Amino acid sequence: MELEERARDTADNCIACTSCIAACPVTKANPEYKGPKLVGPAHSRMHFSDPSDYEDTLMLCSNCKNCDITCPNGVSVSTLNMLERAKYLQEHPEAHRPEDEMLSHSFKMANMLNSIPFGKQIANLGMTIGEATGMMGVMGIAPERKTPRFAATYFRDMFKNIKQPASDKKVLFFPGCYIDTNDPEVGVAFVQVMNENGYEVLMDNRFVCCGSPLVVGGYIDEARQHADTNVAVIQEYASRNIPVIACCTSCSLMLKNEYTELFAQSEMKEAAQNVWDAFEFLAKLDAEGKLKKVAANSSHKFIYHAPCHLRAQGVGLPAFDLLKSAGLNIVNADAGCCGMSGSYGFHKDNYETSMKVGKDLFDAINSDNYHKVVCDCGTCRMQIEHGTDTKSVHPIQILAKCYKKS
Amino acid sequence: MVKDKATVVVVGGGATGVGILRDLSMRGIDALLIEKLDMVNGASSRYHGLLHSGARYAVRDQEAARECIEENTILRRIGKSCVEATTGMFVQVEGDDPDFVDPWLQGCKDSGISTRELSKEEALRLEPNLSRKLKVAYEVPDGAIDGFRMSWQNLQSAAHYGGRYKTYTEIIAVNVENAAVKSIKVRDNVTKEEYEIECEILVNAAGPWAGKVAELAGLECNVSPSKGTLIAFNQRISNRVVNRLRKPSNGDIFVPHGSITILGTSSITVPDPEDTTTSWEEVEDLMKTGEGVFERLRDYRILRVFAGSRPLYVPKGAEGGRNASRGFVTIDHEKEDGLKGMMTICGGKFTTYRLMAEKFCDVLAPKLNNTAKCRTAEENLVPEVPEADKKAARQYFPAYGVNLAATRLGVEKFGEVVKTLKEEPESREVLCECENVTMAEIKRIASEPTSHSVADVRRRTRLGMGTCQGNYCAIRSAAVANKLFKDKLAESSDSLSDMKNFLQARWKGITPVMAGKTLREAEMTRGMYELLFNVNGGRRG
Repeated sequence: MELEERARDTADNCIACTSCIAACPVTKANPEYKGPKLVGPAHSRMHFSDPSDYEDTLMLCSNCKNCDITCPNGVSVSTLNMLERAKYLQEHPEAHRPEDEMLSHSFKMANMLNSIPFGKQIANLGMTIGEATGMMGVMGIAPERKTPRFAATYFRDMFKNIKQPASDKKVLFFPGCYIDTNDPEVGVAFVQVMNENGYEVLMDNRFVCCGSPLVVGGYIDEARQHADTNVAVIQEYASRNIPVIACCTSCSLMLKNEYTELFAQSEMKEAAQNVWDAFEFLAKLDAEGKLKKVAANSSHKFIYHAPCHLRAQGVGLPAFDLLKSAGLNIVNADAGCCGMSGSYGFHKDNYETSMKVGKDLFDAINSDNYHKVVCDCGTCRMQIEHGTDTKSVHPIQILAKCYKKS
Repeated sequence: MVKDKATVVVVGGGATGVGILRDLSMRGIDALLIEKLDMVNGASSRYHGLLHSGARYAVRDQEAARECIEENTILRRIGKSCVEATTGMFVQVEGDDPDFVDPWLQGCKDSGISTRELSKEEALRLEPNLSRKLKVAYEVPDGAIDGFRMSWQNLQSAAHYGGRYKTYTEIIAVNVENAAVKSIKVRDNVTKEEYEIECEILVNAAGPWAGKVAELAGLECNVSPSKGTLIAFNQRISNRVVNRLRKPSNGDIFVPHGSITILGTSSITVPDPEDTTTSWEEVEDLMKTGEGVFERLRDYRILRVFAGSRPLYVPKGAEGGRNASRGFVTIDHEKEDGLKGMMTICGGKFTTYRLMAEKFCDVLAPKLNNTAKCRTAEENLVPEVPEADKKAARQYFPAYGVNLAATRLGVEKFGEVVKTLKEEPESREVLCECENVTMAEIKRIASEPTSHSVADVRRRTRLGMGTCQGNYCAIRSAAVANKLFKDKLAESSDSLSDMKNFLQARWKGITPVMAGKTLREAEMTRGMYELLFNVNGGRRG
């Protein structure tokens, strides 16, 4: 059912204070971009009378959501930007970049490859050849980047072989595309941590991509279908009191906030109550005294990068807090956006901006001899490893290791 | 001292006056229009900007309805750069009188106004914000018309045929010799200089001020200024004009304009046409009725509230206010009062301004032995900016808004602005971010001889008329103003005072609605100007 409060109405809350422009990493890196205020709230007032007349720099928004975080008046700035972008691309299909289709629909490719013998290996080889021969640039992908390789075994298949102790306490895992098909070890670590705490982890193969890459690519109608599919599953588990947990902060933000902002459906708002970020959930267990004691005995020094999409959830920095109180030698980089913002940094045209945005973070990481960067987001980790020589890891992997050691 | 002369002097720079100036000029009659302040500062901009289809008058006044639909059709054709051809809806919600529908439909039919019944589903699909209590909806050919643009485009057209105009020029006396107007005395409200203008015919087109102008010639003209209060909302609530299908009353018209929506209007008889004050009570009254049509009206942000005076002409013994005729009268003072060389036009509606001018000039022209036919309906007000020019301009425009700027500026000035944008990249700076007005456009308009203050520039560019109501553009445009017209500021001696006047005028419309979202913005403005910039020069201790 349509909600009364809709993101597109929040433009009325804008007092034009310009905080969002001051906080926007893209505006700072690329003066071509007119900034979130002009593209979202201001523009959404204007185009009504004249759908042909668009601000085309709205394509430069990375949807990192720092504007939403900073807005003192509750304007869903980035969501307004995305709704504007979707309309713009519907009216002007020629403004689509050639790589949009692929970057927004990588889940299709991943699913297809899993059904072909050696499909993933062949695709990975193709990427290696593509990178070496400059084909990526031709396709619109930043040639400087290493394209993420498909895992030999996806998490969905690994999961079938994980032996878990049965428990009455269950959680449903939303792996998200990147963990499922590129970085399944994060999923394995999540299962270990939950098992240690007496939870049994469930999977449901009806889940589809959260839709975040579809939204930034302007495929808003497809994203709506994904939202409806996922929300129905979440609701089903909610009725059985089984929470849904994601380890990818972009996925969890999508499920928790963005569905409701974009599509204003009461089902989405209700479903969001049952979705947790992994460390948000663990922090809650900790607060209730239900988290299994953990101690980090590492002599290494770590640095934490908080993904923008975690900060946009307004749940603090639960992974950082938990690891620190476990005794890990870890500092908060506090250096803003990494510049990757999902698929944004992969676009050839965005590469320069993406790297400029990330510079503060790279400098913070390079300022000391850190063993590893700890970060909840997969694409942030890719950017960090691209922009620095330091390896990165999901905090759940560190936690799993700590439990294993003790 | 006689400093100027014209065959006809028209007093009043509203829709009526500019219409007459254009009409006379096209007939080849030498005419000069004078206006005591900036153009279009009275009722011609202080109304809801509805281009009537006539449907509102279909039951009570079919002559007015017929005039409206004819003029509506003409203006859509000749005024493409000031008319937004939106169409309109007449709606009834639960509780409205269903017996009003049939006579209304019949009235529309008899007046030649097309109507199309919309199913509830279709109406809600077209206008999703309409009340779920919607019962019936009809589509009519209403539209929106921008009073500022329409008037300036009439002036531009008149100038093309030799018509002249002077702003900030106020009539202060009429010199009569041998029962005939010989000249008028005027005051330049910028320089305070007083001088005479010789003329053969004086046209009193001063709208609600017509009674005062008539008095200068020792005549009586019974104008009853009727104040109408209107609310401007921050966004387009609907994409079409939305009327309540019932006996015309307060607060039953919503008109979308560019980025905003205007809800109006009230009808209060006031003694003084200068009275454009508004109150919370009037706003409440409009909101209560308005939320019948748009249930969530109170969630939408109000930008400001404003009022204008309708120039209702009341023959002796007749009724004023809402029931006064919206028709107009031509008074030939030679016939009525034995004063040769003076005519008054009074009453009427914005939508029929052209027709009023035509009928008026049909009486005036023969007095000057001019037999030319009216041609105002045959020719576009201004040439349209070609699509190719707009397309080429897009690369220099810093953001969206090319089409709006093109309709505001017209071919010539648009070309100049685009040239400036191209050659001076710093002029691409957007001074007004809410309405998307560039430094280049502001500089161009500020350089016009009629621009004496930032407020004058505002009326022609929409500077400061959007979400933040001058918060950011006031300080920015003050810097431009200081450079460009510090020598000719009208109401103040320096650009700081001009900036304060500009903001004060914005605040006038905000104060009665200073609550909720509007209050937050006002606090932002106050914080910036009073605290951060200390514009009022407060000192410690």
